[in-house]
Amino acid sequence: MITVGIEAMNVFGGTAYLDVMQLADHRKLDAIRFENLLMKEKAVALPYEDPVTCGVNAAKPLVDSLSEEEKDSIEMLITCTESGIDFGKSISTYIHHYLGLNRNCRLFELKQACYSGTAGFQMGVNFILSRVSPGAKVLVVATDISRFMVADGGDELTSDWSFAEPSGGAGAVAILISERPYIFQVDVGANGYYGYEVMDTCRPLPDSGAGDADLSLLSYLDCCEQAFLEYQKRVAGVDYRESFQYLTFHTPFGGMVKGAHRTMMRKLAKASPAEIEEDFRQRVMPGMIYCQRVGNIMGATLFLSLASAIDHGRFDYPKRIGCFSYGSGCCSEFFSGVVTAQGQQRQRLLGIESMLNDRYQLSMHEYDTLLKGSGEVRFGARNVRLDLQLIPGVLASCRGKERLYLEEIREFHREYRWFS
Amino acid sequence: MNKDHIFNLIVSYACQLIPKLEGHQFKPGDRLADLGANSVDRAEIIIMAMEALSLHIPRVELFGANNIGELVDVLYEKSQK
Repeated sequence: MITVGIEAMNVFGGTAYLDVMQLADHRKLDAIRFENLLMKEKAVALPYEDPVTCGVNAAKPLVDSLSEEEKDSIEMLITCTESGIDFGKSISTYIHHYLGLNRNCRLFELKQACYSGTAGFQMGVNFILSRVSPGAKVLVVATDISRFMVADGGDELTSDWSFAEPSGGAGAVAILISERPYIFQVDVGANGYYGYEVMDTCRPLPDSGAGDADLSLLSYLDCCEQAFLEYQKRVAGVDYRESFQYLTFHTPFGGMVKGAHRTMMRKLAKASPAEIEEDFRQRVMPGMIYCQRVGNIMGATLFLSLASAIDHGRFDYPKRIGCFSYGSGCCSEFFSGVVTAQGQQRQRLLGIESMLNDRYQLSMHEYDTLLKGSGEVRFGARNVRLDLQLIPGVLASCRGKERLYLEEIREFHREYRWFS
Repeated sequence: MNKDHIFNLIVSYACQLIPKLEGHQFKPGDRLADLGANSVDRAEIIIMAMEALSLHIPRVELFGANNIGELVDVLYEKSQK
């Protein structure tokens, strides 16, 4: 059988970010209890950023590193999102254009809340494994932006929504899949999936979300266990504690992952609280570092966690990473792959950490300006010209980096411009 | 386990997670959210109660209680099956 997996992967973690502790303070949330939720920073989308710009900004460095021939071998571009900008036309068409890819390429979009990135990833993996076009590559771009506004009216669906604001991020992860899995070699056939209908969180309106945090947490925990048990059924000799040197999770916020890991370790590994704490530090924390800085980027979050584990883990010998994906509504999956020291070296060349360090820090005042909807582009906007100077200083802070931003919407068509 | 036992379990878990509740006079009509339990705490309380009652059912089946009394009722009902 051929090998398959991630040839290259890059993260775009926003142009601007907010210190979440400052936000918690501003919203008068209990500081000590809030710290347990393990959130630090969140990327905040500017009005001239959308899932297209985030996706392109994540994918551009990957595409630029390819030869013309390699670039032309990208035969499928899948966008994975719950922040779509059109019911019909997929954002992959815009991303394809701005990346200048070969026209002999399949373009489409996938949706299943935060599971979308995994759905796209598995589709890419299976296309390569099928060998119907030997040597082809697939570009998967998981890209999402949170809408902060909570739907008015109806108490049921909007209770305890207080974590949604500090945890909701903006960004994208671009994943190049091929039969040269330099970064992450997939364990072929080692997949446990589990899904059913549940109304936990959703986006029934164009520009806001709704949901029930309690139901979502319980469903996430059920899926974490059931998806792993299915994986275990299909893969001989698997042990939750011993088989994976690192674990990555879909991470709405760190505290939720910590709870899920604790539940799994107590139930499946019969571990003591002290053992669980140590195991969390060793196996889970490396994958949480980027998530704590970007916030929840939905379909892309699991891969943000994977990139974090690859950049921060110790790969003195090839190590297996277990990945748990969950998307409300719901569908989930546990899968795995192997990372080597060479893979980590390659991955680190992309400098994800320094990209995050270089972002513009928003003041609370600037954040409030954005929150109040200044300059905001609503779903279905027909003609808009974006004010790129809405928060002076942001664009100046990305000088020297090639970035795509939305300049104008003309008769629904989005027109973007490169800045450097 | 009868309902009083289950109620006392919930009270002890709530106090364990939120130490400032020690000494609070819990009533069935109390809402965990009003007592300062966030959604992660509330899920943790449900999980600990499920373990104590050896309940092996999907956790989502325990969703929907509006206060501690209702949570006790649903846990009791599930533990009788």
